[in-house]
Amino acid sequence: MQVKIVIGTIAFMLTMMIMGFAALREPTRLEEYTHAFEGRSIENGAKIFEGNCATCHGMNGKGEECENTAGEKIGCQGLPLNYQPLLCGDISDRTARMNAMNWAGTKDAFVESVVAAGRGGTAMPVWSAQFGGPMRDDEIKNVVAFVLNWENDALCDEELPTFDWPTLADTFLTDFPDGDAANGETLYVSYGCSGCHGAPDGSIPANVGPDLSAIAVDGGTRIEDYTAVMYVYESILEPNAYIAEQCPTGPCVGPPSAMPANFAERMSANPQDMADMLAYLLGQ
Amino acid sequence: MTTFVDQVREMGFKQAAIAKADEAVERITAGMNISDVRGALRGDEPRRPNPRLRPHADGFWLHIRPSFYHTEVTHFYPTFRLGWLSTFMFVWETITGIILMIFYTPSPLAAYNNMWNILANVPLGQLMRNMHRLGAEVMVLVVALHMLRTFITGSYKKPRQFTWATGMILLVLTLLLSFSGYLLPWDQLAYWALTVFLSGAEAAPAPAAVNENILLILQGAPSLGAGGLLRWYLFHVLLMPLLLAIFFFVHYYKVVLHGFSLPPGREKIGEDTAKRVPRTERTYFIPDILTSELMWSALTTLFLVAGALWFWDAPLEHHADPIVTPLHVVAPWYLSWSQGWLKLADKTIVVGFIPLLMVAFIVMPYFEVGKSRRYADRRVGLSVAFLFMAIMLVSNWMGSPEYRVESSAEQEVSQEILPQEGPSVLLGVPYEHMAPGTYLPGEEVAGNPHLTEALEEFQAAMYRHSCHVPGNQNERLPREWDECEIAVLDSGDKRYGNFFKDAVMPDPYAELVIEEFQPNLLKLTLNYEVVNPDNPDEMLVESDWVSYRHADSNYEEECRYANKNC
Repeated sequence: MQVKIVIGTIAFMLTMMIMGFAALREPTRLEEYTHAFEGRSIENGAKIFEGNCATCHGMNGKGEECENTAGEKIGCQGLPLNYQPLLCGDISDRTARMNAMNWAGTKDAFVESVVAAGRGGTAMPVWSAQFGGPMRDDEIKNVVAFVLNWENDALCDEELPTFDWPTLADTFLTDFPDGDAANGETLYVSYGCSGCHGAPDGSIPANVGPDLSAIAVDGGTRIEDYTAVMYVYESILEPNAYIAEQCPTGPCVGPPSAMPANFAERMSANPQDMADMLAYLLGQ
Repeated sequence: MTTFVDQVREMGFKQAAIAKADEAVERITAGMNISDVRGALRGDEPRRPNPRLRPHADGFWLHIRPSFYHTEVTHFYPTFRLGWLSTFMFVWETITGIILMIFYTPSPLAAYNNMWNILANVPLGQLMRNMHRLGAEVMVLVVALHMLRTFITGSYKKPRQFTWATGMILLVLTLLLSFSGYLLPWDQLAYWALTVFLSGAEAAPAPAAVNENILLILQGAPSLGAGGLLRWYLFHVLLMPLLLAIFFFVHYYKVVLHGFSLPPGREKIGEDTAKRVPRTERTYFIPDILTSELMWSALTTLFLVAGALWFWDAPLEHHADPIVTPLHVVAPWYLSWSQGWLKLADKTIVVGFIPLLMVAFIVMPYFEVGKSRRYADRRVGLSVAFLFMAIMLVSNWMGSPEYRVESSAEQEVSQEILPQEGPSVLLGVPYEHMAPGTYLPGEEVAGNPHLTEALEEFQAAMYRHSCHVPGNQNERLPREWDECEIAVLDSGDKRYGNFFKDAVMPDPYAELVIEEFQPNLLKLTLNYEVVNPDNPDEMLVESDWVSYRHADSNYEEECRYANKNC
C-alpha cells in the first residue's frame, strides 16, 4: 500500500509539473494559433476569390486580365482591389476609398459590407446568405481577409502618378494629338470598359452601362454646347458630371453613377491612354 | 455545550485547536478522526469498533461502495481495473466537457469559430479540448475491453445477467455519447461523419413514414443544420449523460449486490461464492482499495494529460460545408466496422442488423445457461467470441481508409501529398523552404532537404498511381514507372493498371508549381498531363489541383504530432 501511495503521489506531482510546463508555453502557443487562424482564413479566402471574384476583379486583384469560364480574356467588370486607395490608410487606417464613400466604420468592415451586401446598380452582386447571396458569414470573412492581405509596404509606399487633367478635351488633345484607335480597342478591354458597356461593334452586348455603339453621334447631343469628344472625355474623368438616361436595364442609377470615378487616377500613369481611348470610341 | 473559547480556557489554545481539527476531520470523513486516518495510511490494524467502516455506513460518497472486497478480485487479473476505469473516464469527460461548454455555442454560425477561439484565445484551451477528445476515444476503448473481459471470464452468467444487460446499454450509450460529440465542432469531419450516420438511420428497415420521421427527429429539419446541431448538442450534454448516469448506478448497484465475480478457477462449478468472503480473504476498502484507486486516478490523469499535450491532437478541419463533400469521408474508428459492413451488404440490411445484434447481446446470458465459468468448459463460447472479434477486426479494416473507393489516379496523388483536409508532407515543409518554382516528382532541390523530402513523397505517390507503356513515343519525361498491365474494356477503351491499382495514369507528366501569390501567401498547383498512348492528340488527363499556403498557417505544428501522417 505504501508503494501505491508513493507512485500515486509521484504521478500527481508529475501531472502538476506537466500542467505548469503547458501553462508556461501557453502565451506563445495562443499567439501561434491566433496567427494560424488568420493565415488559414486567408488561404480559404484565396480559394473563394479564385472561384467567385477573379472573373471580375482579375486573379491578381488589379482589375486586369479577367477570364471567363472558357478561359477567354474579357473586360473586368470589377474595380481593382489590389489597389492603394482601397487598402492603404492614413495613421488611423482610413483609406482614400473609405473617405470617398463617406464610410464611418473600420476598413475591414468597409470591405466586408461591400462583399456581403454588394453594390446596387453595379455588377457587384450580393454575396452574403443573410441578404440572399450564396455565402456563409465565415466565407465572407475569409474573402475579406484575403483581399486585405494585398496591403503591403511596397504598394502603400508607391507614389501614385498624378496628372493634371485639363478641363476641356480640346486642350488635352493639343498635348496628345496622336490617338491610336487600335491600342484604344485593347485598352477598352483592359480597363474593364467592355465589362459594363459591351463592345461598341455590338459583339458583346452592354449589360450595365449605356451602349456606346453610337456614342460618336449621341455624345454630342447629351449636353448643350458639348461636342461628343468633350462629353466622352468628361464622362470618363467625372462620371457624376452627367448621368445618361438610358441604361440596358432601365434608367441609369445615380448620382452617384455606377461608373467607377477613378479613371482620372488610373489613367494618370499614362495619359496617352485617354487619347487612344477617345480615338477608338469616337473614330477619330 | 462547551464553546471553543471554553475549551481554550480549559486546555490551552494548542490542545483546543487540535481537538477542533480532530472533530472537523471526523465530520468530513464521516467517522474517522486524525489518528484513525494516520493509522489507515500507515497500514496499522484498526481499533475496535472499526472506524474505517463508518464512512460506508454514514457517509454519502462511500455508501454505494462495499466496505471490503474479496482479495482475489483486487489483483490486476481478473478485472484489469476496466470497470473502474470506465467510471473514471466518465467523470473525466464530465469535468473536461463542462469546461469546454463554457466556450461553446451550439449554432452553425458560432460553433466552428468557438473551436478556434478555444485554440487561440483560451489559456490551456487546446489541452482541454485534446483531453476531452482523447478521453472520449479512450473511454470507448476501455468500455469495449471491459465488456470483452466480462465475457471471457464468464462473469455475465447467472446471477449477473441483468448486470451484463445494463452493461451492454452502457456500451451503446458510450458510443452514442462519443459520436454525438463528433458533430459539435461543426467542421467538415464532423458534418460528413454525421451525414453518413444519419443516412443510415434513414435506411432503417421500416415504412417510409417512420424513416422520414426518424430523420426529422434526429436532425430537426430535412437537412442537417442549426436545428440538428442544437439537438445533437442536447443529446451530448444532457440526454446521453443522464441516461448513462442512470444506467451506471443500476449497473453498479447490481455489481455490489452480487459481489465481484471471482476468477473462474476459484470457485466450484455452478456456485457463486462472491458474497461469502471469509475474514482472512477480505481486503478492506479503507485503506487498501481507496489508495489503489487514488493511485490509478493519478496514473490515468498523468497518461491523459501527457498524451493530450505531447502525443495526440484533436483534429479540426475546415468549416462544415453542405455543398462540398470531402474526397474520402470516413466514420470514426470505433464505428469503422459498420462502414465495412456497408460494403458487404445493402444499407437497409446492415442498419436493421445492428439493433438485432445489440438485442442478441443483451439477452444472450438468459439463453446461454452453461453453468461452468471455467475456460476449459467454454470452448464453443470462447471460440465464438474470438471468431466474432476476428470478424470485427476484418470489418474495421474494411471500413478503414485502406479499403476505400478510389477516385481518379491524379486525385488520389493530390490527396496524398496536398489533401483537402489536414496536414501532409508538403504542407509540413516550413514556409521559408517553400521556394517558388516548378518542381518534378522526386526532384532533388539543392540545400532544401524539406522540399526534397516532400518531392520524394510526390514521386512515391506517383509511382503507386502510374505505369509505363513500352514503346510510348509521347513520354515527355521518362520516369521509372513499372510496366502497365493493360486491360481492354467492353467499350473498347483501354484501362492501365499496375501492381497496386487497376486504374492508373500511363506515362503521366506531373509537376508542382509554387508561386508567390500575395504577401506571405503561396499558391501550390499540382499539374497533371497524360497523353493517350494510342492517340497523341488526345489528352486522357489534363487537370490541376490548387491549394494555398500562408506563412502563419502553422501546419508544421500539426505535423509534430505522432498521429499525423507527415
